[in-house]
Amino acid sequence: MLSLQHISKYYQVGGNKNFVINDISLDIDEGEFVSIMGPSGSGKSTLLNIIGMLDEPTDGFHYFVDQAVHQLKEKQRSALYKQYIGFVFQAYHLIDELTVYENIETPLIYQDVKGSERKAMVADMLDRFQIVGKKDLFPAQLSGGQQQLVGIARALIAKPKLLLADEPTGNLNSKQGEEIMELFRKLNKEDGVTIIQVTHSEKNAEYGTRIINLLDGRVESSRTL
Amino acid sequence: MLKNHFKIALRNLWRHRVFSFINITGLSVGITACFFIFMYVTFELSYDKFHTKADRIYRVVTDIKTPSETINTDVTSWAFAPNLKTDFPEIEAFTRVSGGSFLVRKGNVKFQEERTLFADSTFFKVFDFKLLKGNLKTALTAQASIVFTKTAAKKYFGDADPVGQTVLITGDAIPALVTGVMQDVPENSQIKADMIISMVTLTQRFNKGIEEQWGNYGATSYLLLKPGVSAKNLQSKFPAFMEKRNGERSRKSQMFATLLLEPLKDVYLHSKRGGQEVGSISNVYIFSIVAVFILVIACINFINLTTARSVERAKEVGIRKVVGALKGELASQFIGESVILCLIAFVVTIILSVLLLPLFNQLSGKIVSPGIFSNISNVLILFGISVSIGFLAGIYPAMVLSSFKPVMVLKGRFSTGTKGNLLRKSLVVAQFSISIALIIGTIIVYNQMDFMRNRDLGFSKDQMVVINTNSDAGKDAFQQSVKSIPGVKSVAMSSAVPGGGNSGAYSEIENKKGDLQIANLDLYFVDFDYLNQFKIKMVAGRPFSKDFMTTDTSQAMILNEEAVKLFGYSSPQQAIGRRFKQWGREGKIVGVMKDFHFRSLQEKIKPLSMRVELRALDLVSIKVDAKNLPATLAAIESKWKEVIPNRPFSYYFLDEFFDRQYRAEQRFGKLFFNFAILAIAISCLGLLGLASYSTYQRTREIGIRKVLGASTPGIVNMLSADFMKLVGISFLIATPVAWYFMHKWLQDFAYRIDIQWWVFAVSGILAMIVALGTISFQAIKAAIANPVKSLRSE
Repeated sequence: MLSLQHISKYYQVGGNKNFVINDISLDIDEGEFVSIMGPSGSGKSTLLNIIGMLDEPTDGFHYFVDQAVHQLKEKQRSALYKQYIGFVFQAYHLIDELTVYENIETPLIYQDVKGSERKAMVADMLDRFQIVGKKDLFPAQLSGGQQQLVGIARALIAKPKLLLADEPTGNLNSKQGEEIMELFRKLNKEDGVTIIQVTHSEKNAEYGTRIINLLDGRVESSRTL
Repeated sequence: MLKNHFKIALRNLWRHRVFSFINITGLSVGITACFFIFMYVTFELSYDKFHTKADRIYRVVTDIKTPSETINTDVTSWAFAPNLKTDFPEIEAFTRVSGGSFLVRKGNVKFQEERTLFADSTFFKVFDFKLLKGNLKTALTAQASIVFTKTAAKKYFGDADPVGQTVLITGDAIPALVTGVMQDVPENSQIKADMIISMVTLTQRFNKGIEEQWGNYGATSYLLLKPGVSAKNLQSKFPAFMEKRNGERSRKSQMFATLLLEPLKDVYLHSKRGGQEVGSISNVYIFSIVAVFILVIACINFINLTTARSVERAKEVGIRKVVGALKGELASQFIGESVILCLIAFVVTIILSVLLLPLFNQLSGKIVSPGIFSNISNVLILFGISVSIGFLAGIYPAMVLSSFKPVMVLKGRFSTGTKGNLLRKSLVVAQFSISIALIIGTIIVYNQMDFMRNRDLGFSKDQMVVINTNSDAGKDAFQQSVKSIPGVKSVAMSSAVPGGGNSGAYSEIENKKGDLQIANLDLYFVDFDYLNQFKIKMVAGRPFSKDFMTTDTSQAMILNEEAVKLFGYSSPQQAIGRRFKQWGREGKIVGVMKDFHFRSLQEKIKPLSMRVELRALDLVSIKVDAKNLPATLAAIESKWKEVIPNRPFSYYFLDEFFDRQYRAEQRFGKLFFNFAILAIAISCLGLLGLASYSTYQRTREIGIRKVLGASTPGIVNMLSADFMKLVGISFLIATPVAWYFMHKWLQDFAYRIDIQWWVFAVSGILAMIVALGTISFQAIKAAIANPVKSLRSE
């Protein structure tokens, strides 16, 4: 599904290159559930952002569904991204001014989905996550776990092939965290969504099919479960 | 997508009510001010343009060269226009207009009509004043024909048809036939009239032979040129015409007239020669600039507040980008929001405009617009202005917001950056520069007004009641009877009082070399009490006196110091006993009076002559006791009704009458003052928003500082100092600019103040105080907050 070849990301500080990602090569197949682990500052999030096209590497080649991402223009990249990728954040990142319903609907708006169709898709999603009763609430009126559910619902609404999650349970208590992880596993198994998550928790990492450990911007180990 | 954007825009506005309020208030007030100025400027520019033939109509004006000076007048003699028409086939028609004040009576209804015009029968052909009743072509052909405006007709005839009825005009009760009713003269006509009398009434009856007097100036002449005729070309043929028709007379009288053509459309705003109503193109410019300034200030506010708040919107931008929004989509969302805000401001502006229009009309002294909706294109323009402001002011914030990198903002590693700060700061500096410049301008305008009001004019104008007898036969009897009233201190009669018009006379005065020098001298006819009552001082010779009754009533003249200078004398004494010839009288100069301001302070004091000519004294000036003024006035009125029952009684106070000359300046000052207040208010709104935002942003810093031991005053100082620096910079920018423009403005006044340094100091300090007041509230609030709270929230 995606392939990173000799990807590096560094900042020029004085005369030195300060590497965040240092020559990482990585292939991920469709249907995988990858957990990226590592201590703070090891480049986990940056790597995830590069995969998600939110960030650009300084060097290297990036292929996604057989397209050379490093050669694409912003508009094409955005189109590719819209079609295939969903993002979940540790801090949920819902739009405070929009209701649950509207938050979930937003990606569809940017994909020019028709109004009636959007309605059906959002209703379906609300139903699936059992948050129909909360659809008119604003994010501030929800608990953390509920907000993250909305965040995931939003990420999934456009039926992405790849779900990227940056410490999705980081702000949640252990029970809420478990629920989210179960949900991920189900998505991966039943719907065939490829998932890449960044996590600090060994336990959460175990939900995946592969664990990649990063240290100082390099892949230290990779183990398939 | 639009619906979504609209929704989020409204929710955002509501969530940040204070910001929205500041933003919308600032914008609406700014747009309202601009709208008013726009209406004012278009109104000023619209003068006389409603005449369909306006492009072909020209006013004939005259430069009269005498041996001592060149007089630029806005009038011609009655002879010019008819002769021009005879000689030049290029002229399709001419119409002469001359104003007067007439007693008009119909039964018991009587008024002294001040806005009466004599006009040639072609008046309605040349101009587009609509005749509602009567025949356009013949209305003004016969002697003693009179056309009323609709309003004037109502005054005399009520709802009855006036055409065919008779009114009595002048004190001699000459019957005049009403031949028409015309539409009221539009507000934006430089020619103003309530009634029009046929010109032949003047030229054939009141003043027979006036059309042969080439040197008798007083008629305003308008020419309608045939289509395609070049005015410049025509004008170049005038010198030959004048030579042929009037060359000999000119040489004899030493007065050479040059005829010039002024396009009708330029008369009101561009002519420096005056007219019935005079506008000022520089005021039009000044107000246009002020309007642009205010608009810029309002837009700057908007941009500043929006970009300052961008940090809060950054997260939203990041998320939207993550879920697939393109930069362009986001930019259009933010521009859309700004347009929505402006549309709200537009609605508020409409409400404000409707409420404030009467006040504005009053302030500008004329009906600039009868109602906002009376001219729908105005509203459309307003709408256009609002939407364009929304676009223009929205572009920059939209660019900034939509270019945020999602990774950066979502991680919270985000700062507005020093670049944005610099921009915001320069915008604040721009705002305050404009505001301070306007404050300086206002103070200087007011200083000049004050100076003009308080300057010693060289004569006494207090407690002086002036009554115009309009040459009524009973005037002397009235003057005598007034003297006996207890509250009356003294009474004098004259042909003119300071601040009003007076004649200019063709005069020959013996100069230092002993020749009779020709000059056009301003002339006052006075009685023996006049100089004394007006406290006009003598510097040489003697005042008029009844002891020299025979000499003084026919052979004596008093000059002012300017006149003495004109004829080459180095001291007033030298002029005493010199010969004069003026308007058929000959005699000697008996005295020299000190210069006094008989015109407004815009004009230099001109050479003036005074003579006693007892039959020509129309104005009765009565010095009254300040005590019991109402009783005294009532007594004067009853005397009037006794002696001159045919005329309505009216009077004015000389001081008010004199100050009336500054009405335009006062109005200008008031308008300027109001707009300056507006500008500073809008600037402060912006500053308030920005200050509250920047303190909000620095909450954490303030918390840390407090934990480290900073005192509350120390923090208030720190927060205020930044803004004070900006105000300081603005002051440095505003001062020279304001000085330059106000210096130029003052050049219009012959007698003017020097611009004092304290004006700048006061303006600067004022701006500082206002800005400090605005900021300190926020600063104090932030400084006294508990640091634990602000740090925990991080």
